[in-house]
Amino acid sequence: MELTGAQIIVEQLCAQGVTTVFGYPGGQILPLYDELYKNADRITHVLSAHEQGATHAADGYARVTGKPGVVIATSGPGATNLVTGIANAYLDSVPLVAITGNVSIPLLGKDSFQEVDIVGITQPVVKHNFVVREIDKLAFTISEAFRIASSGRRGPVLVDIPKSIQVESCEYADVQAVSGKDATIDADTAGEAASPAASPAASPATSDVASPAASPATSAAASPATTPAAATNAASIPGLEQAIEAISQCERPFIYAGGGILASGAEAELLALSDKLSAPVGFSMMGLTSLPDNYMLNLGMCGMHGKYASSVAQDECDLMIAIGVRFSDRATGEVKAFKHNRTIIHIDIDLAEIGKNVAATINICGDAKKVLTMLLDALPEKHNVSWLERIEELKQVEGSPQNGGFTPKNIIEAVRRRHSADTVVATDVGQHQMWTMQYYKMGNPRTLLTSGGLGTMGYGLGAAIGGCIANDRKHTVLFTSDGSFGMNLNELATAVSQELPILIIILNNGVLGLVRQWQNMFYEKRYSQTTLNRKTDFPALAKAFGAAGYRATDMQQLEDILDGLPAGMPAVVDCHIDMDEVVLPMIPPGGTVKDIIY
Amino acid sequence: MEKFAVELLVSNHYGVLNRITGLYARRGYNIDSLHVNETENPEYSRMLIVSKGDEYIQTQIVRQLSKLYDVKDVALMARVNP
Ligand SMILES: Cc1ncc(C[n+]2csc(CCOP(=O)(O)OP(=O)(O)O)c2C)c(N)n1
Ligand SMILES: [Mg+2]
Repeated sequence: MELTGAQIIVEQLCAQGVTTVFGYPGGQILPLYDELYKNADRITHVLSAHEQGATHAADGYARVTGKPGVVIATSGPGATNLVTGIANAYLDSVPLVAITGNVSIPLLGKDSFQEVDIVGITQPVVKHNFVVREIDKLAFTISEAFRIASSGRRGPVLVDIPKSIQVESCEYADVQAVSGKDATIDADTAGEAASPAASPAASPATSDVASPAASPATSAAASPATTPAAATNAASIPGLEQAIEAISQCERPFIYAGGGILASGAEAELLALSDKLSAPVGFSMMGLTSLPDNYMLNLGMCGMHGKYASSVAQDECDLMIAIGVRFSDRATGEVKAFKHNRTIIHIDIDLAEIGKNVAATINICGDAKKVLTMLLDALPEKHNVSWLERIEELKQVEGSPQNGGFTPKNIIEAVRRRHSADTVVATDVGQHQMWTMQYYKMGNPRTLLTSGGLGTMGYGLGAAIGGCIANDRKHTVLFTSDGSFGMNLNELATAVSQELPILIIILNNGVLGLVRQWQNMFYEKRYSQTTLNRKTDFPALAKAFGAAGYRATDMQQLEDILDGLPAGMPAVVDCHIDMDEVVLPMIPPGGTVKDIIY
Repeated sequence: MEKFAVELLVSNHYGVLNRITGLYARRGYNIDSLHVNETENPEYSRMLIVSKGDEYIQTQIVRQLSKLYDVKDVALMARVNP
């Protein structure tokens, strides 16, 4: 069948199971938009107000579904507007496929109108990117982009497609990616992806579980290529036997769980492991939602603004099983103290993360679900009463301060009471984000959308839009604040035209709260450029966009508003809170648990 | 810090050199010397990159390079004599 490039893109998207894409049209992507018009029954296109919002929406969509989100933009400014969203997805390992138009091949490299080297610009923040210069490579490139984005450690892939390629035509047959090359190790695709024809040397990445122990003096390709069959045998997995031994010996086990649990779908295995070992579980921000909130040993987030019990238990354990985490500086504080006096077992799918930030005692490189399954089979049950008593004691110290005011905690809890475990909740970045992590009782896996690695103010609204659409357009919540909301509030227009029931709670403190908190603590209250002093009337603004808008100054008002929200449209609730509210506990940057302020 | 060499088999394709040197640059590792040759099979090139770094840096470079799509094989060569 002879198809144009634009038709091939649509066919390939459909072949990948894509039903929804986010984007914004323009001159160099017109042929594709023409095909999207003709194929509106197969692919729903959600038009954003700004390409950044579209990228965050695709990111939110991907976090909820676990499948690659798709964002489409034109060349030049359309493409550069994607960069923050792509970087955001990269740092949180979110599968994303970005498709950009570019000027036609004869115009490339001539500084033509709206030409930018988006492949060069995004190179440091993508798993890989492509320019398609030959029409007969287009189909393969697109399926390859999806394969890369969704295998191993997930992440964004960009495909830049000159307009002339979208217009040219060639013979099309549904092409599947066949390359064996994916640098990270993926449990499910490793077997089928291996194709010697595409790779002249055995790729280091064709096994389930690779050897992190591969000494730097040996070729990476020579690391033991564990076959999937052999991988079921503990003895054949580097680190596994030592891990079993160490866990069997330890007295105070602690599990530190990250986004890798959600990426691998290892929630059940995590619960079983914690239960079997009576090991409390703390989370990196990316790992939240991987265990039920009411599970006894779920201590919540640890790290700089983590829960008291979680951070202290992490410090007092004699063995830490860290799964699918990368030991970010926000999570560990000072590394030497973090490692002090304990055995750390690091399980991660990305070999490059092993030993990068924290040199663990025992390393296992592999898919979390597979490794945990093997561990579970081999481990004895443990039940250290005095450790569990200590955990209870820490929870008591942490307490749950109750006061009646119009505080972030009370606001967040009032919102939570009206929503169920399957509600998608998004946040922006700042104090309101940390309060949400601390006080919002987390729901089902994949219901939390928050910018971890990049800390992108302005992420929330776009993400909430994508998350809402992915979750059958059900009620969705966004917690934001005046600073972050001001960055991308233009996406209210998108939420209104899509008729999305997104409840937007602005924890409006009139300040760039989190930065102000640092100025308060570390810069002797010199509040340089963090007092917003704006006169923005958010409820009126919401109404101008066609959304509902409210202001609340006490709990009763808020409760009444929440009980009377309109259906089928976004609602903004501007909650005026005290500008001097602080996020506690806090472990100061570069500090240790001993320095915790609570 | 000791010198070390990394030998790479990579796609023979525009932009590949940029991706590899970009990885060194981003992490602040200087490249002391660089050789690129097309292999007998014109689809691939071989590169030899010499730089300085301790064992941590060497391991990181090899592992980060292995993740690049266009890198088909990475080998850390025995220590290079100064
Ligand atoms: C795009 C971007 N610019 C700057 C920052 C630095 N920053 C981190 S938190 C913060 C303040 C956020 O203020 P607001 O959204 O009002 O949240 P609050 O802390 O008041 O809850 C700033 C400026 C950032 N994270 N992202
Ligand atoms: Mg604020």
